[in-house]
Amino acid sequence: MLIEIKELKKNYSLGSSEIPVIHGINLNIKKNEYVAIMGPSGSGKSTLMNILGCLDTASSGHYFLNNVDVSTLDDDALSIMRNKEIGFIFQNFNLLPRLNAIQNVELPLIYSGTPAHERREKALQALEKVALTDRIHHKPNELSGGQRQRVAIARALVTNPGILLADEPTGALDSKTGVEIMRLFDDLHREGNTIILITHEQEIANYAHRSIYLKDGMIHSDQLNTQQKKQF
Amino acid sequence: MQYGENIRLALKGLTDHKFRSFLTMLGIIFGVASVITMLSIGEGAKREAIAKYQDLGVNNIIIREKSLSDSELEDVRAKFSQGLSIQDARVIQEIVPGVEKIASQAEKSSDVKYNDKSVKSTIIGITPDFLGMMNYSVEKGYLINKNHYDKRLKVCVLGAGIAATFFKGEEPVGQMVKIDDQWLEVIGVLKTKSLFTETVGELAARDLNTDVYVPLSLFLNRFTPENILASQIQQITVQINNSDKLMEASKIIDEILKRHHFNNDDYSIVIPFELLKQEEKERQIYNILLGAIAAISLLVGGIGIMNIMLATVMERTREIGIRRAVGARKVDIMSQFVTESVAISITGGIIGVLIGVLLSLTVTLFTDITTFIKPYSVLVAFSFSVIVGVSFGYLPAKNAANLKPVDSIRHE
Repeated sequence: MLIEIKELKKNYSLGSSEIPVIHGINLNIKKNEYVAIMGPSGSGKSTLMNILGCLDTASSGHYFLNNVDVSTLDDDALSIMRNKEIGFIFQNFNLLPRLNAIQNVELPLIYSGTPAHERREKALQALEKVALTDRIHHKPNELSGGQRQRVAIARALVTNPGILLADEPTGALDSKTGVEIMRLFDDLHREGNTIILITHEQEIANYAHRSIYLKDGMIHSDQLNTQQKKQF
Repeated sequence: MQYGENIRLALKGLTDHKFRSFLTMLGIIFGVASVITMLSIGEGAKREAIAKYQDLGVNNIIIREKSLSDSELEDVRAKFSQGLSIQDARVIQEIVPGVEKIASQAEKSSDVKYNDKSVKSTIIGITPDFLGMMNYSVEKGYLINKNHYDKRLKVCVLGAGIAATFFKGEEPVGQMVKIDDQWLEVIGVLKTKSLFTETVGELAARDLNTDVYVPLSLFLNRFTPENILASQIQQITVQINNSDKLMEASKIIDEILKRHHFNNDDYSIVIPFELLKQEEKERQIYNILLGAIAAISLLVGGIGIMNIMLATVMERTREIGIRRAVGARKVDIMSQFVTESVAISITGGIIGVLIGVLLSLTVTLFTDITTFIKPYSVLVAFSFSVIVGVSFGYLPAKNAANLKPVDSIRHE
């Protein structure tokens, strides 16, 4: 099992009172699954994604990633976990504006201590996977939204992580570009990547093979998608 | 994360915001420049003082006839003191322990003539040891030796200034000059001495380069004193073999002279080394003051860096979040920001060193203040700027590292 979540709870403290956001979630995700996590705003899906991405830790319960109990890790170990096991793809791309495309893609490798020439090679390979080899020296503001998201995906792929964690990856894109990005996810899934998609759009969630619906900090439903979009 | 990456990143940060980086550096630049300039002025003053006292010999005790008015002089003579004499010198050499060399000198003011040129000069009658004891050396020819002294030869050694006035381009050695009614052969010319611009004890400030040296034996034999009551000699210079014994020896000398001069206060004892130490002590207060001013300007520079770095961290919260999300540890973020502030302070330090050096040179060029830049002071100023960079970059960097990744990545 790639991801194993047991009785996960998360509270936020607001002044003296504790506000529960996640009320005990149990969830297993296998390798090479393509899962969409859905839910209305306030359902706890962002919190869950932060915990899945090791950006945040749970208040109680256990989260096993690759059989490592993440809830017991300290800040440094969480950083290493994010570096090696998680590839983030954000709605607003989150590229560093002063770095060009290839430098942005190299960024995770800098923190894993990869030597410069190897970094370059791996970054080029990742950019090849997202079909963006012709604009590697462009800064983010010289790229279109779709191209920026491709750079971000390449950055997520470059360390060969266990999970690709995409948070509303098409939220800032027009529908045509969104479709292109979702097709790219399909390709990546077919190549063996595990993808977790956080979205509130049913249409986007339909690309995934399994949908988990959160409501009020609990799993409301968890089912395999029967009506997947097959638009090839 | 490799350190080279941090440096590359920091330099990129500097060049991306050139004007802002420059403004941030300004405090450090002024701080370092002022440290270097102030230290160079202090060091220049120190060297000037050392040079001055070195001319008097650091291991020497100088016994000098007091300049007395005619009536005072008559009074002293009436009380049996004959003033300084060669006999005094002989007794000192016999009694005082640790005397290495002793030299007597007699002086008078006279016009020195060569062809149709005439220069007002101080004629100094010396014993052979004198010039060596005072670290005088010749530019041309040779010094007065025992042979000249014993045989009362009519020879002289000229100061550099007077030689230059007389013999423009001519060979001075072997020429004859006239002092009073005596013709003397020039046997040597001294190297240029620094101007003696301050009165030390009874030693009057004057230009040593116009002095003319003749054997004391000749002087006493051939020249008439300026005053009928004048002492035989005007100065005795005693060289002691150990500078720690200077005070002790001077006390013994004082005792001896008191007895021989029948308690007449017609001489004074100057110890150049003691005066040097005293002057150094006084200057130390100045140096501390200058150092404090420079330290404050560096401190202000450091606060400037901290201020900008804190603002930078705020402004770059998102960047920090992104870096943390892709795997940067706290220590990576921390070292990134510390490196950046150190890069600012080092660059500021280098510019400050250059400006400081230029400023010192300008001071020397346009004023009569001597400055000297010790490599050590450059090193101190520079390392201080690095320390400022590290210590004032630490807090902002810590703030940056402690931002929670989950919050900072969503920061707009």
